[in-house]
Amino acid sequence: MNYAVLVVPDFALHALRRSNPGLCGRAVALVAGDGRKARVAEASPEARGVAPGLAATLAMSRCPGIILRQRDPGAEVEAHRVLLAAAFTLSPRVESTRGGCCTVDLQGADPARTEPLMRLLAVELAGAGLPVRVGAGATPLLASYAARCAEPVLVVRDPGDFLAPLPLAFADPGPGQEDILTGWGIGTLGGLTAIPKAEVGRRLGAEGALLWERAAGETTRVLRLVEPARSFSAEWAYEPPVESIEPLFFKLRRFAERIALELRGAGFVAEKLSLTLLLEDETDHRREFRLPEPGADVEGWLRVLNSHLGTVRTDARVAGVRLVAAPARPQEKQDGLFDTGLRDPASFWENIARIAAIVGDDRVGTPAPVDTHRPDAFVLERTAEAVAPQAGAPVHPPCGPTLRRFRPPWPVRVVCDAGSPALLEGGRLEGRVRAALGPWRSAGDWWKPQAWAFETWQVELAGGGVYQLACADGAWRVEGMLD
Amino acid sequence: MVPPVQTVSALRLLLAARFPERARRPCGGVSAAVRSIDDALGGGLPAGRLTELVSAVPSGGGQTVVAKLLEATQAARQRMALIDGADGFAPEAVPAGVLRHLVWVRCRAPEQAFAAADILVRDGNYAAVVLDLRGCAERALRRTPSSVWYRLQRAAEGGSVAVLVQTTSPLVPAVPWRLVLDTPLSLADAGAPREAVADRLDVRTERSHAQATESMAG
Repeated sequence: MNYAVLVVPDFALHALRRSNPGLCGRAVALVAGDGRKARVAEASPEARGVAPGLAATLAMSRCPGIILRQRDPGAEVEAHRVLLAAAFTLSPRVESTRGGCCTVDLQGADPARTEPLMRLLAVELAGAGLPVRVGAGATPLLASYAARCAEPVLVVRDPGDFLAPLPLAFADPGPGQEDILTGWGIGTLGGLTAIPKAEVGRRLGAEGALLWERAAGETTRVLRLVEPARSFSAEWAYEPPVESIEPLFFKLRRFAERIALELRGAGFVAEKLSLTLLLEDETDHRREFRLPEPGADVEGWLRVLNSHLGTVRTDARVAGVRLVAAPARPQEKQDGLFDTGLRDPASFWENIARIAAIVGDDRVGTPAPVDTHRPDAFVLERTAEAVAPQAGAPVHPPCGPTLRRFRPPWPVRVVCDAGSPALLEGGRLEGRVRAALGPWRSAGDWWKPQAWAFETWQVELAGGGVYQLACADGAWRVEGMLD
Repeated sequence: MVPPVQTVSALRLLLAARFPERARRPCGGVSAAVRSIDDALGGGLPAGRLTELVSAVPSGGGQTVVAKLLEATQAARQRMALIDGADGFAPEAVPAGVLRHLVWVRCRAPEQAFAAADILVRDGNYAAVVLDLRGCAERALRRTPSSVWYRLQRAAEGGSVAVLVQTTSPLVPAVPWRLVLDTPLSLADAGAPREAVADRLDVRTERSHAQATESMAG
């Protein structure tokens, strides 16, 4: 097989249904024309008794409750991009043949790998609301014939056997040609190709010879290739604006499915997602999600987005949504033989990402000290997959109760007696100091504009509680509690 | 025909007899490395259950419990999560070597803490999850629907994680174990090794529902 054709029957109808959650599972028909001239162009299987060509009024009487809609060009563009993205996962040489149809050049691809891939793709696209049919054959034409007969994948290995029973209409005969051939008793492609091509050409002229070539599936052509996506983004404008999370999430799912396919086709994974909600009052809500484990797992992305959207409150209705994925090359690594890794790495990273979506990317991780004596200096690092054994006893074993910080520190007025704090007042913490330890003086970064210098005290209040105070430039603050 | 029960105690006995698996103490657990807590809980924080630790007085030692739990889980090469409701954890207050297994979630509001706890308790990769709500606004905590707590308890029961909830006043409804730290530490403890400080912590068992059920069941 040199070529594959991906085609979605009733493409405009499926594009409309996948963009509108209210149409799923309902009897829907697309109509062309206005008023009394409106006729059904495509109908969903649920619309019983309705067929293309039927007048819209008749369709309504035959199928009460049927939803009649016009085509939605925006939805068709989005659906076609999904189809193209799926085609690029098979090969980088893809032609956008027409809406809902694309042709893939598979020359050089491994058939043993490609055929299962096509079957997986058909299942995946069906899940995304596009029931695709995939045909593969030696020529683009043969592949397109196969796609029309596929359920959902058909690979033509013996063109003669495949073409012989197909009706003559597959080869698209001209108006006069079909009558002539029917008069000769020829109704199938096999019947036509049983006659030598030269004889057909002599009787029906050059057009007849071309028809014979189409019937034999021999016609080939140069594909008009399209470039794969370079940016991985999707955007939608809601009309009217939406107020709840459901339509937003529905659209984000569709976007995520398409972007994940585009990334896969380009050999990338996403390391960061960027979500923008365009609000009705012309402001926007932006949020970036750094994925702890770069990947193209749609469900994982959606859990991250859903966790965040559950916490979002906006002042105005959402008029549009934009999702952008930052591409990165997939990580490849081999774990150590004796690593005690995670029980379930997938859920671990996914849950970290979900929490990051709730609290912020910079507020979840493993704390690590920084090489400075500046108080409260640390960085949050990516959590290690394996818990390493303890290196040994610390050089300076911890002493005393553990500090629990107040962030930000509480300002307080301190009355000193003989240079040591004696009374706290005017803040969230007040009282007489029963005992005090200090001062510990520290300073650093004096060569930088962010130079710092502190005097630290530990005080026990008469009413109970041990606190850590810091004084900088005469301003006191309670840094935390020794607990 | 079962006769109608007259008292709560009788109802508990009946339930314990009818559903013995609910009254059974959970097997396994995570040592808190604080003698008084491990003794009160019969060996450590029970896996698959919530334990509430109430710091009833300032400097009651709740943060030292967190520090010791960090050391214990690191020594056992287990993973621990700290959901910090008021962002009070000070990494410099514990040795750097006992931080590498910790996932620290720095929340801005109690709602974030509950959402993070709901996710992490179900994760399956953690031996201990500490939900530290000290420092959160009391009114906001009191407004938390009890369904949030029941959901968290059901989530914990489904797994093997030990959940320690740190509060400043009793908060968790129907919690199996509630311990209270009501003896404040003093400045005299500042120079003592942390082991000694942890040994000084005195906890009072305010609620031990499972033990009560066991004793009533005979």
